[in-house]
Amino acid sequence: MGTRGGRSGAAWTARAAGVLAAAALLTACGSGGSDDETSGDGDGGTTTLSLWHYYGTPDTPTGAALQNLLDRYEDEHEGVTIEPRHIPFGDFTRTLLQSAAGGDLPDIALINGFTTQALADAGVIQDLSDRVEEWGEADHYFETGWETTQVDGATYAVPHVADAYAVYYNETMLTEAGLQPPTTWADMQEYATQLSDGQRYGLAFSGIEGDEGATALVIRLLAAGGDPADIDSEAGAVALGQFTDMIAGGAVSNGVLTWNEEDVKNQFANGQAAMMINSATYLSILAEENPELQWNVALLPTDVQAATFLSQENLAISTTTEKADAAWDVIAWMQRPEVLAEYLPERNKLAARDDVDTGDDPVRAIFAEQLQQAWAPEGDLAAASSEVLTRIQGALQAAAGGGASVADALADAQGQIDEALANVE
Amino acid sequence: MTTTVAPPGTASTTPARAPRRARRWGDHLFVVPAVVFVAATVLYPLIFNIDLSFRDVGVAQIVTGGAEWVGWENYTDQLSRDDFWHALVISLLYTGLAVAAAFALGMALAVYFNQRFPGRNVMRSLLLLAWILPTVVSANVWRWMLDGSYGLINTLLEAVGVVDGDVFWLARPVPALFAVVIATAWSFTPFIMILLLAGLQGIPDTLYEAATIDGAGAWRRFTSVTMPLLKPVNLTALLLCFISTFKTFDTVFLMTRGGPGEATMILPIYAYNEAFEFFRFDTGAVATTLMLIVPLGLSVFYFRSLRREETA
Repeated sequence: MGTRGGRSGAAWTARAAGVLAAAALLTACGSGGSDDETSGDGDGGTTTLSLWHYYGTPDTPTGAALQNLLDRYEDEHEGVTIEPRHIPFGDFTRTLLQSAAGGDLPDIALINGFTTQALADAGVIQDLSDRVEEWGEADHYFETGWETTQVDGATYAVPHVADAYAVYYNETMLTEAGLQPPTTWADMQEYATQLSDGQRYGLAFSGIEGDEGATALVIRLLAAGGDPADIDSEAGAVALGQFTDMIAGGAVSNGVLTWNEEDVKNQFANGQAAMMINSATYLSILAEENPELQWNVALLPTDVQAATFLSQENLAISTTTEKADAAWDVIAWMQRPEVLAEYLPERNKLAARDDVDTGDDPVRAIFAEQLQQAWAPEGDLAAASSEVLTRIQGALQAAAGGGASVADALADAQGQIDEALANVE
Repeated sequence: MTTTVAPPGTASTTPARAPRRARRWGDHLFVVPAVVFVAATVLYPLIFNIDLSFRDVGVAQIVTGGAEWVGWENYTDQLSRDDFWHALVISLLYTGLAVAAAFALGMALAVYFNQRFPGRNVMRSLLLLAWILPTVVSANVWRWMLDGSYGLINTLLEAVGVVDGDVFWLARPVPALFAVVIATAWSFTPFIMILLLAGLQGIPDTLYEAATIDGAGAWRRFTSVTMPLLKPVNLTALLLCFISTFKTFDTVFLMTRGGPGEATMILPIYAYNEAFEFFRFDTGAVATTLMLIVPLGLSVFYFRSLRREETA
């Protein structure tokens, strides 16, 4: 084949390459999103409900907890089948919106609390105000968490579980250094510096690209009395200034800019970090995977005020379902205090309401106390939360890793935040 | 495929024109499935996307419809944004560097493998692994290797005393950009090598023999025989590699998500963020439509030069 001479050989190669490239283009276009839609038959007096969530497949600890909860419901309610579908967190909201555009929504969606407003605005989830009023249990919920379900004065969801961020600390390391968990942010910086030795760092938190990496800085900003919508402020300068100092001084690893919360947990579990800011999600995982690790949990340090970041999932009913009554029954059942009492410890989450008895575990008690100080975006900030939080992470990145001054990083981020808030219709 | 095979003699003796025309039309039917497939999977989304870019589509309109036609407003808005131009510059920088690196390496490997030596085919196949390895695997492997606390690269550099302590390569703007360039070049090199190798094997040995007799050394043979004759293949390889790299999303997204800051914010990730992170579907559509112009222009150039090559 190659003996025919340069010209035709080259032309052949070019054509073959063209076919290859075209094939690659087609596969790239065709590999969009595959729906592994489960279909259920509703004959014989049975009801099949679909539920989409991002907790993981049943073979993961978080996915198993949810599966057990759904199994319990099915056991207690003959004739009802719930078919869960796991969609990874990063794809969840996008998938819901795309499915809604295609008219193919589940009956129930277990959504991130912060996306409730966007999904209500998009017409993906329905107004539950009448049902909630008839239910009459709204007063049992913590105000901040309940607020995430409110859109223009109507209720579009019911909280499923809540979570908050607190400080995990390595007891062995703190005892060796003769330290107690820090109660103020000034102490935090001092202790974290003392606890780091080049090999190990004093404090770890997630500062990864995107909204996930904004949590710790938002917590610090709130503690300084600041507002995430107004980051180019004195509180913003205090918060970002301290984080930048801690990273530059080696108290916090530069790697936080690449770590998600799972990575942070691993750093802590491997003894690479003496303290970490993380949610209750990792309580039993840490205990199971690292039984030899001596650790405990403390409230976040305070500055002008005590504050933490709320993490919450809400249950919602889609606008297109024909089984809204059955779906509501599932949601209301899931929120029964005795059901939550069994589910929450397994799921490593906290109750979003005040009448659930999950035992007297001291670590869970700390998280429950921390939850009382939780902050969540509201109003316009809620509608643009993903972008605003992404910009806040951008400020951390620019100041701690990109060589920008704290003032410039804050001013840049503020410009982008203002634009994002102005875009909210 | 386009000509029907008839037994010798029968074709010329068929007098009626109508059946022949009918048969020709029948032949066209065979391409219908391909046309339908392309229309459904490429043309429809493309046109839908362009339509979207001329409307005001936020989170409320994507589901319920009723998106208002706003003409060029989204485009003027997008073209006045620094973010967009920054993403374009990063995209061109990333693509240019990755293509240059992949081409240089691919050429070196192709020349090397064009010689006969034992184990040549095995080694060539092994190299192809980089090309066929799923990106989700290769990008994550690169990410781990570049990690500051447990990454291989840091450990090696520390061992030879180049760096001191943990260096998080992907947390720093310039190293992060070079890291995604290297990872991309690494995966494209075998593809370039295969193309160039096919071209090299089309160059007759006699030309090299003649050049050698004329006293040309190895470098002179490469610059005066190989490169001129390889020109069409080079062009093909460069263009195809440029187009595929320009629209790369997965490698960069998995390694840095466009960060740190906006250091690796290439256009595909910028468009993704606009549409699926911030739910501005209209500006996302504008970004993807504008993004199409560069590869489209290059494709036209490619097919033109291909045709010129064929007619020559």
